[in-house]
Amino acid sequence: MATRKMKRSRKSAPAATQAPAPRIARVAKGKKPQYFSDPAIDKLLWMTVTLMEELSVTRDRLDAVERLLAKKRVLRANEIDRWKPDAKSATERDVRRKAFVDRMMRAVHAELDEVLRTSHRGAEDDPVAAVES
Amino acid sequence: MKGFKQHALLPTPQHDEQARQDFVGALRGHLSARVMPGNYQLFERRVAPRFEAEQGRPPADEQEVRESMTREPYYQFWSALQRRSQELLWESVIDPTEREWQTLIDKSRGVRSARRRGSLRLNPDLPLPRYHAAADIHLQPGGYHTDFRADDVAAGAIYDKGINLYMGGALGSENDLMGNTLVAYLRERHPTHQPKKILDLGCAIGNSTVVWAKAFPKSEVHGIDVGAPVLRYAHARAEALGAKVHFSQQNAEQTDFPDESFDLVISHIVLHETSKSALVRILAECRRLLKPGGLMLHLEIPRGRTPIEKFMHNWESYNNNETFSRYMTRIDLLAEARKAGFTQREIALEEFVPKMDIAQMNYTQHFLWKILVARKAGVV
Repeated sequence: MATRKMKRSRKSAPAATQAPAPRIARVAKGKKPQYFSDPAIDKLLWMTVTLMEELSVTRDRLDAVERLLAKKRVLRANEIDRWKPDAKSATERDVRRKAFVDRMMRAVHAELDEVLRTSHRGAEDDPVAAVES
Repeated sequence: MKGFKQHALLPTPQHDEQARQDFVGALRGHLSARVMPGNYQLFERRVAPRFEAEQGRPPADEQEVRESMTREPYYQFWSALQRRSQELLWESVIDPTEREWQTLIDKSRGVRSARRRGSLRLNPDLPLPRYHAAADIHLQPGGYHTDFRADDVAAGAIYDKGINLYMGGALGSENDLMGNTLVAYLRERHPTHQPKKILDLGCAIGNSTVVWAKAFPKSEVHGIDVGAPVLRYAHARAEALGAKVHFSQQNAEQTDFPDESFDLVISHIVLHETSKSALVRILAECRRLLKPGGLMLHLEIPRGRTPIEKFMHNWESYNNNETFSRYMTRIDLLAEARKAGFTQREIALEEFVPKMDIAQMNYTQHFLWKILVARKAGVV
């Protein structure tokens, strides 16, 4: 999916002056709880669930591909095992792979983002204070 | 999701987007059926007996349960997984919404320029209450209020599919469970009340408002909310579903409707998203807006009876940006209604179990709604 978005934004951005396309936020505002005594465990579990999801999606997609190919009688036995990507395919696969790693590593990025945000803009609004007033 | 109505304002997920939503459904279904109940078992078999052995008495309140339970690795792991499943839920809905963003905006503009039943009135100068601005409710990125671009409806589309996933489809084919529950309550307990004008407070995408418009087709039905993108979406959605609703961007603490405008003022699981002072102001505004003999009905989520139930119910408050919800557990709603000007004879707090199936419960296996009821004195 990240690949598709990148392709689209490359095509639709002919001039360097064009403003970046608007995006919907992916992270909610508010204090993030810590569940374990070691915050690294929180991050590892966060990443594990993300990985579970991505694997589930990939298995579903592969299942769809194989069923479609079998139905259309285009795929022979062992054909995938023997296949090697050409240069263009390899590049596209690289982009997708990097986007996946980037998404997986958000738990790590978030800590630095938090440090930068609080040091530059001061503390966020306190949700508890907001409802107590 | 099985049985969810794919109306015109919802994006159609592509393969991987659907697979993501399916995973979120599978994960949350597993957490609620197989992992969450373990917290109750853990408490009964290990945490409570240990507490009793040390203190010579069982945990007295939610806070004592909290201090013990949050140290339990099982609870910690469930919490972290539940939290991540909530984040993934929104992400899985945001992706298809962003891909079909322009189409959704065009469709909602089309509705507004076409012949329509209801109306939409926005107020860009309306201040956003702090209880919306401080944290994104339910972890929905941008909350109900953020316009990520002009004429945005994304927050509405995300919320619509998001709450369907949140309850594993149990909110019904049009997310109409809460509306149906409150309509059923009115018909069962107040069968002679025939409202001519109805106001739904904090209506968001109008999923409950539409239920009222369809249940009372001859009534004039209004819905208000502070969020512009959810209201644009609500208007287009109501038109797509053939319901006549007048939506306006207003704060329920102070509306621009004249005194004694409505026979029925309602809200559906809204009060616990506000604040201590806002709650009283909203109830006072309800009283002002009601005609003599008019009814106020606020549907609220169950808060649990035992300390462990209260602790589990409040998970959302501490972990899902429902900050005020924990205070609602301790607030006497009838006392707040009296502060707002209602007399003791006008008000009641009722419990109501709808005759409907609840397929997926995230925090409890028992479902019971609370309804804050007021009938304003005077003759209709």
